[in-house]
Amino acid sequence: MDELEAIKVTFFQECEELLADLEGGLLTMQDGNEDSDTVNAVFRAVHSIKGGAGAFGLEPLVRFAHVFETLLDALRSNEIPSSPDLTALLLRASDVLADHVNAARGLGVVDMDASAAMAAELKAVTDPSAAPAVVAALVAPVDDEMGIAFTPLVIGADDGMDDDDMDFGFQPMTISLDAQAEDAAVLDNVWTVSIRPKSDLYRKANETGLLLRELARLGPIQATLDDSALPTLEFLDAEAAYITWSVRVETDQGEEAIREVFEFVDGDCELEITRGESPVADVLASLLDIDAPAPIAEEPAFEPIAPEPVAVAPPGVAPASVSAPPPAAPPVAANAPAAAPSAAKPAQIDVPGPGQSVIRVDPERIDHLIDLVGELVINQAMLAQRVGEYGIAPSSNLAMGLDELEQLTRQIQDSVMAIRAQPVKSVFQRMPRLVREVANMTGKQARLVMDGENTEVDKTVIERLADPITHMLRNAIDHGLESPEERKAAGKNPEGVVRLAALHRSGRIVIEVQDDGKGINRERVLSIAVKKGLISPDITLTDEEIDNLIFLPGFSTADKISDVSGRGVGMDVVKRSVQALGGRISITSRPGLGSTFTLSLPLTLAVLDGMVVDVAGETLVIPLACIVESLRPKAEEIRPLGPTGSVLAVRDSFVPLIDVGLTLNYRSKSPSPTEGVVLLVEGEDGSRAALVADAIHGQRQVVIKSLEQNYQQVEGVAAATILGDGRVALILDVDAVINLRRRSPPLPSDPTLIAAE
Amino acid sequence: MSTAIALPETLDLKASGPLKQAFVERRGQDIEVHADQVRRLGGLCLQVLIAARKAWAEDGKPFSITAPSEVFIETTRLFGAQGALFEADFQGAAS
Repeated sequence: MDELEAIKVTFFQECEELLADLEGGLLTMQDGNEDSDTVNAVFRAVHSIKGGAGAFGLEPLVRFAHVFETLLDALRSNEIPSSPDLTALLLRASDVLADHVNAARGLGVVDMDASAAMAAELKAVTDPSAAPAVVAALVAPVDDEMGIAFTPLVIGADDGMDDDDMDFGFQPMTISLDAQAEDAAVLDNVWTVSIRPKSDLYRKANETGLLLRELARLGPIQATLDDSALPTLEFLDAEAAYITWSVRVETDQGEEAIREVFEFVDGDCELEITRGESPVADVLASLLDIDAPAPIAEEPAFEPIAPEPVAVAPPGVAPASVSAPPPAAPPVAANAPAAAPSAAKPAQIDVPGPGQSVIRVDPERIDHLIDLVGELVINQAMLAQRVGEYGIAPSSNLAMGLDELEQLTRQIQDSVMAIRAQPVKSVFQRMPRLVREVANMTGKQARLVMDGENTEVDKTVIERLADPITHMLRNAIDHGLESPEERKAAGKNPEGVVRLAALHRSGRIVIEVQDDGKGINRERVLSIAVKKGLISPDITLTDEEIDNLIFLPGFSTADKISDVSGRGVGMDVVKRSVQALGGRISITSRPGLGSTFTLSLPLTLAVLDGMVVDVAGETLVIPLACIVESLRPKAEEIRPLGPTGSVLAVRDSFVPLIDVGLTLNYRSKSPSPTEGVVLLVEGEDGSRAALVADAIHGQRQVVIKSLEQNYQQVEGVAAATILGDGRVALILDVDAVINLRRRSPPLPSDPTLIAAE
Repeated sequence: MSTAIALPETLDLKASGPLKQAFVERRGQDIEVHADQVRRLGGLCLQVLIAARKAWAEDGKPFSITAPSEVFIETTRLFGAQGALFEADFQGAAS
């Protein structure tokens, strides 16, 4: 069962991708691009989910997927015209389908009432196409006479089993009829595949059934089974292959595609692919062609299969075929293994072939690889340093070899990081549904526009992007967008647009959430902040500073607490989680035109560009992203402030001077800042500070080693790294250092005081 | 005398031998094959089932497949084996 579980996991992984494809396709349709490729892709997605679910016996999922698929099938065969309403319905159905998938996975439950209601809605739309199925039922008795017993059986059984839902037996009939109807006209896309499995095929754990399913993915198939070689039970070798099949495939893809299906059983299966019907079927088809130029639903009912070259329809059959449901229809007088129409729908199970261009790898393996490469980088640096200590000339072979090694190591590191890089699509794809739901909940009309879904970012970052983006989108819709009425009154389109974009900018990933709503109501924000005691009433703030107040803990502008956002945990949580990722968040807002939240994050959490500095004999790394500039202060630029503090004058503004050694308790007394180097840094909130260090060693890319995992969290320190000489260096948490200093003297907790600009 | 066989969930390579054995042991009795648990039906077990059904038809004993699961029906259909498996018992026709 472990294997099965593993396959199941793969199935659910695929489901996620398929659901994303489904939603993507539907959204494309919503934008008016209803080409057949898109509709087909949407159909295939639902179909594959159903197929996989069927293999695992996930009944409710299969049932719902089937109704959904039936409608999509009708849509792609143009039986149902598409319309914006229909697309909206399909989108909602895709949400229900996603719920089913999640429920099957053990995450959450499905609202069965809602699901049943949706299924009913889908069926109601599909209804016109159900007509041929009724015909099939009428025609069924004819099959009896023909000795093809199975069809009526299944229909009967289904009717008895559950009239509330669909089933396997019923629907395929419809399709087979349709397919048949088309046959009469188009025959050059029909192939006959003769399959003779050898015993080895089964011994190698391959399965004819899977081959048939794969074939069915190409188009409607009818398998005819030949068991004439099957010995009697006593003499049967349970592990030997006896039965052979002749399969009629209807596909627009060529012989190559059919052959591909059998690629993996090459040599274990005799294969013969011929164009057109098998001989008998040909005769039948041509008869039909002549007699009934306009194919009616009934006539295919007797045409379907000619299992053996027997009893070709006498000419007399022709007139009857056009007229009534009970035509003479004797063509298939099955004496041999009576093969009935195997009206399998295309592709029941999505079996990922080994030849796919995508591989799935346990992320732990990649993490391990990244660790190793990190060690390699460190080792290489150590080696270079040692060699340097021996005073070897830079032009010597050894030094040049080392340079090459360094380059190679860098390339390996980049490549390994690239393996872990993923497009943000995996996060973005969850958002359209969120927007729909939030818009529904808040009674607003919102359209989500996404850009840069393929922007790649390290997996470690991606996993933690979802929450901030979710919060920001909710916020944009709930607080940003106006109600449709307000928008109309303001002369805007009642449907608000929320734009979610990802892009690379100077080695960081930037996520933007933009709405075209009313913008931040600064007066209100200010008054709320004062009322809640977050700022003192007599302070004067710039517009930007007011906007940034919404990131304060405990701030919520919603008049009443809604389900969506406004629990007062919104934006400050976003800010904190973004900061934890080494990112920053900012907001710009224009009244009446909307707001933009901009999130900037490092591309990876595994390596970091840093400045290596000396502080009180310790080596520290300061993240380069925080550093604005470094300088040697002159005595006249330093002004004392209060009993212990001092500030540095930098281009007409004063920034607080922070001695890192003192803050981290490396020393108890600061030397004069003029003796050291000052690094002007910018915290996540944009506040600046001047960090004093003793000396700068240079810029270096370092591999981040978690301190929490290996030791424990240390205040003021973000992580650790190992330097070229093998020493451990701590990576400074600039924000924490600024905050530590801020806390040590009893300062008011007013965050707007930090920047003395 | 009548007997029954409950088919396991997975009818693959591993199941075909025991399945054949089970049928051989029950030869000569009326038989009911419970197919409600089946989640996977492979070609080898299909062969065993067809051979068994033929054997029972030869003996003139009833052979019926009861409550087939959806997967069972669907796979049988895919194999084009409905006639070979279901014909006799549901139609009452000898074959």
